[in-house]
Amino acid sequence: MTTMMDRSASAPGHAAGKRPLIERLNIVTALVLGTVSAVVVWQLALRFLPETPETSLFFNREDKISLLSLIGWFVGFMTGIGALIGPFRWALGKDLNHDENMFLAGKDQGIKRYFRYTTDHKVVGIQYLVITIIILFVGGTLAMLIRTNLGHAQGGWIQPQTYNAIVGWHGIIMIVATIIMITGPFGNFIMPIMIGARDMAFPRLNALSFWLIVAAVPPVFISFFTGGITTGWSAYNPLASQAGLGMNGYIAFICIFAISTMVAGANITTTVVKMRAKGMTWNRTPIFIYGVVASVALALPAFPVFFLSQIMSGMDRAFATSFYNTAGGGSGWLYENLFWIMGHPEVYVILIPSVAALMEMAPVFTRRPLFSFNLAVMGIAGISGLSVLVWAHHMYISGWAPLLNAPFMLTTELISIPTGMLFLVLIGTLWRGRLWMTMPTASIYALLWNFMIGGITGIYLSDVPADAFLHGSMYVTAHFHYTLMGAGLTGALASLVFWFPKMTGRMFNKTLSWVSFWLVQIGFNVTFIGMFLVGLAGQPRRVESYAEVFSRGNLITTMGAYTIMAGMLVLLHGVISSWRSGVKAPMNPWQSKTLEWTVPNPVPLENFETLPVVTSDAYGYGKAKS
Amino acid sequence: MSDVQVSNKAKWWKSADVKKTAIYWVILTPIIGYVATEVQLRSIGAPASEVMASVKSLMGIFTWAASPVAGLVAALALTSLMGKRHYGDNPPPDADHEIRNSPRAAATWVVVSTLLCLFALITGLIVLQKDSESILDAKAININVTGQQWVWNFDYPESNGVRSEVLYLPVDRPVVFHITSKDVKHSFWVVQMGIKMDANPGYVTETAVTPNKIGVFDVRCAELCGLLHAYMQNKVHVVSQADYDAWLSNRAALEGAA
Amino acid sequence: MNKRFFATLGTVILGAAVIAGIGTYVASAKNDSRVLAATAAGTLDTPQGTLPHYTLDIQAYPDSMFGGHGANGGAHPDWVSYGDITNFEVPAHSAITITVTNYDGGETLNNDYFGKVRGTIDGSATLNGVRITSVAPDHVGHTFTVHGIASKQSELFFSVPMQAVAEEDMPEEGYTKTPNVTVFTVITGDAGEYIWNCEYPCGDGTVAKFGNAMSSMGYMSGHFNVVQG
Ligand code: HEM
Ligand SMILES: [Cu+2]
Ligand SMILES: [Cu+2]
Ligand SMILES: [Cu+2]
Repeated sequence: MTTMMDRSASAPGHAAGKRPLIERLNIVTALVLGTVSAVVVWQLALRFLPETPETSLFFNREDKISLLSLIGWFVGFMTGIGALIGPFRWALGKDLNHDENMFLAGKDQGIKRYFRYTTDHKVVGIQYLVITIIILFVGGTLAMLIRTNLGHAQGGWIQPQTYNAIVGWHGIIMIVATIIMITGPFGNFIMPIMIGARDMAFPRLNALSFWLIVAAVPPVFISFFTGGITTGWSAYNPLASQAGLGMNGYIAFICIFAISTMVAGANITTTVVKMRAKGMTWNRTPIFIYGVVASVALALPAFPVFFLSQIMSGMDRAFATSFYNTAGGGSGWLYENLFWIMGHPEVYVILIPSVAALMEMAPVFTRRPLFSFNLAVMGIAGISGLSVLVWAHHMYISGWAPLLNAPFMLTTELISIPTGMLFLVLIGTLWRGRLWMTMPTASIYALLWNFMIGGITGIYLSDVPADAFLHGSMYVTAHFHYTLMGAGLTGALASLVFWFPKMTGRMFNKTLSWVSFWLVQIGFNVTFIGMFLVGLAGQPRRVESYAEVFSRGNLITTMGAYTIMAGMLVLLHGVISSWRSGVKAPMNPWQSKTLEWTVPNPVPLENFETLPVVTSDAYGYGKAKS
Repeated sequence: MSDVQVSNKAKWWKSADVKKTAIYWVILTPIIGYVATEVQLRSIGAPASEVMASVKSLMGIFTWAASPVAGLVAALALTSLMGKRHYGDNPPPDADHEIRNSPRAAATWVVVSTLLCLFALITGLIVLQKDSESILDAKAININVTGQQWVWNFDYPESNGVRSEVLYLPVDRPVVFHITSKDVKHSFWVVQMGIKMDANPGYVTETAVTPNKIGVFDVRCAELCGLLHAYMQNKVHVVSQADYDAWLSNRAALEGAA
Repeated sequence: MNKRFFATLGTVILGAAVIAGIGTYVASAKNDSRVLAATAAGTLDTPQGTLPHYTLDIQAYPDSMFGGHGANGGAHPDWVSYGDITNFEVPAHSAITITVTNYDGGETLNNDYFGKVRGTIDGSATLNGVRITSVAPDHVGHTFTVHGIASKQSELFFSVPMQAVAEEDMPEEGYTKTPNVTVFTVITGDAGEYIWNCEYPCGDGTVAKFGNAMSSMGYMSGHFNVVQG
């Protein structure tokens, strides 16, 4: 299929009479078919799968049944949403015709296109934005449960195994939300316009990557009611093989999510490489694009490994293989290696696009050029390159390979050099600018502050002797929240306010953006500085109750957490009220020079009347010296 | 600042912005260094071994080494904030320059961060080397540590099969721990002695320490190990050699009664 | 302005209420708050002098059909379980005599450390009236092992193995008529909150048989709180 749609065509697809299949599929059919197929597979498996012999130590029949049902759900859901129509027709040799493609692009369908397998990148961007907000809300709710339980020393508000499940659930869905929070909404909606393209390289893959995420979410929800992810988000084996049926939900979730990430990664990378506007050389490509590409490109090697590690975990459970079971000749260290080969690049998958987004905003709000574009590119490339070589710093004290500790300490500490470059770019751009004080501007400062703390504490953790003290303590938890939330989420919230006018056609309410900014940032620092302190005093992480010496720090942390909650709810109110009744946004409210601001609101289906030709980079602010 | 038009030729350090930044830097660096070290080292509490003492001094050194960097970034950020700020719905006029680069600043920055990175690496390696050697100490007491869901127990193979759920150690004698697990992964953490090593099912891992203070300290599990992970904790008693011997013979008697 | 302020406040309150609601549900849904308190029984002469004496009766079954568990239609009637209440409360600075009636069979411990009686008065217990200090590690049905968080509270640790009911005495239906009765006495320190669990691998799963019943509160684990007398 060709990806460029011919602009002259216009005839809507559906005439009178029976509507073709392609027009009848939507989220409802998907949910129904997914549920039905899960139930059918479940019942069939229950009836026909042989009983496990009495003598067996294993409870793997139930694991087989639940994994099969989850696969049934997945296949049913994807069929019901219409993901198979394209491949099926292609296999028959009759690819979709023009009208059908226009239908898939969501032409003239109003609100309904958001509930279908729509290929228009702008629709996908909005879908991603909404699902990110929903996931963050659920993850935030879980964080509040965690913090409430830890409000006083003897815990006990929530029983321990439920508590463990909540920590695991919070962890994994926050990780997923932060992975998609920039590349999903802004990478899909904004990025193609920013490079002057009419759509993504593979629009159907674009729809696929989004609906895979929707398909992945129910397994993780259901898992909560079948025992939960009691292992924490890292799902270490052999603990995961011991855990109840809820782990199967985790496994299914990760496998589906990994496919989604790989699909999105291939799509975004191809789009940027092949579809930039005429004249947009690599030197003129906005830095945000580099961030998005680095992020999804890093995910390309990382997520297949994650996928694999979970397939093996599932086999250990369902077929009693022993990939990770020492008693059967496997090793838990294998799992740890696989997990962190994914896990470390993944933290940069989250971080890089956030920093890049703020770099994109910095020149706009300081009205001067980006400081040292080349250093920014080098920094992003350096971090990406090194990040695949550092995974075993999570295993310093696992006993796996003490002799490798020194080399991994070297690679890890080297990352501080490219990271420093990103700092210089940001601070250099702030230097002697004409500050336009908006919430995104303030977010740049907030990122510098939070990321400085996150980065420096990272150096302590990368140091083997210090890590022998700090590993597995609340200090680690505070550290990664400073990077993931303090830096990552801060950038994403700034992006939301910055690109809101283009995506919704309305301005984000200024007052609300400021109120929420201050509540979130102050609450955040209170929360996690408190967490640093109890970590240093010796509180392990992932504990449901703790010694009373840690009470004060934990109380501070819980107070901070409630402040964050208030701030995030104000933000949520801002999103909803501004979207519904905000001030209509002009085409280019920030007077920015990137291409997405040259198209009208709402952005037309094919973005550009005539494709733009680029003659300079987007940072030509500032007056030449007299 | 609009009144200070700096041309490329002018001495860069004479600009008002630079001077202001320098002043902020000089003020902020010691404050950041002091507050950050003080807050952290105080939270850690008193060390009960050489290893922990060196962790503390490492963290102090790193914090002080990082504070000029943090101070500089803070000073630059502060200077930029103190400049012309514009509130309102329309953009301010453009800045009065179009600086896109500064090879000098970039080079300095990269060189300095490389040096700091090397410094952190070398200090870390020195301490690491010291810690690793202690495992080979032939005169050390050997103790087998077994983690299982959700209790630690300690075997003293050199002392008539003494077994205990509470760790007793004589002061000032090197100890080597041989650590394993009966089920899932645990992590053996003697908090105030600054040592931690995972307990893996099917493998024995090692770590070593010389307690140098008499007192009662904490062992906590530092790896999520299921339902009662939070409760997988106990005390360590560091006692004089005489008390230690008495404890051992007491325990041996109890164990022999089996 | 004012209208917007109240709208925002409304969202915040509504959001907080939703979160609180979910929290209350999660917290209540899975917590068994029933507590069994020790019964006063005069005083007892111990190596630490004459102390107030209390008793506590506990049972261990091969499933959860018995008593309250079964009558309540517990969520997992087939899981092994200690008596139907698994949270205990005993007074501080007292002698507590605990009687465990074990109806369950058993096999080998993961760690023979728990084959010994530990932490009771003079390290012994009585099994069906006979004094013991240990049970063969391959004939253990369950253990009753109490421990707590390392904090300011007094150190309290005791662990007593329950002899397994012999294979041939385990009936197909119902419970054995000849359970093993283990009695032991421990002395409590200051008030504090502790936890107990079984160290015999009587759960499910490929790993150490510590899954399901062993990994859920209320079957093979619970609270053991020492309270001001
Ligand atoms: C972008 C936002 C966030 C991300 C990416 C994130 C991520 C994570 C991750 C990966 C974990 C580890 C889970 C595990 O150990 O398995 C975690 C744990 C935790 N998070 Fe978050 N989180 C976020 C926001 C928050 C917020 C807002 C709070 C509190 C206000 C919070 C509080 C906690 C707590 C208390 C833990 C448990 C720490 C422990 O016991 O190990 N998180 N988070
Ligand atoms: Cu890492
Ligand atoms: Cu643990
Ligand atoms: Cu048991």
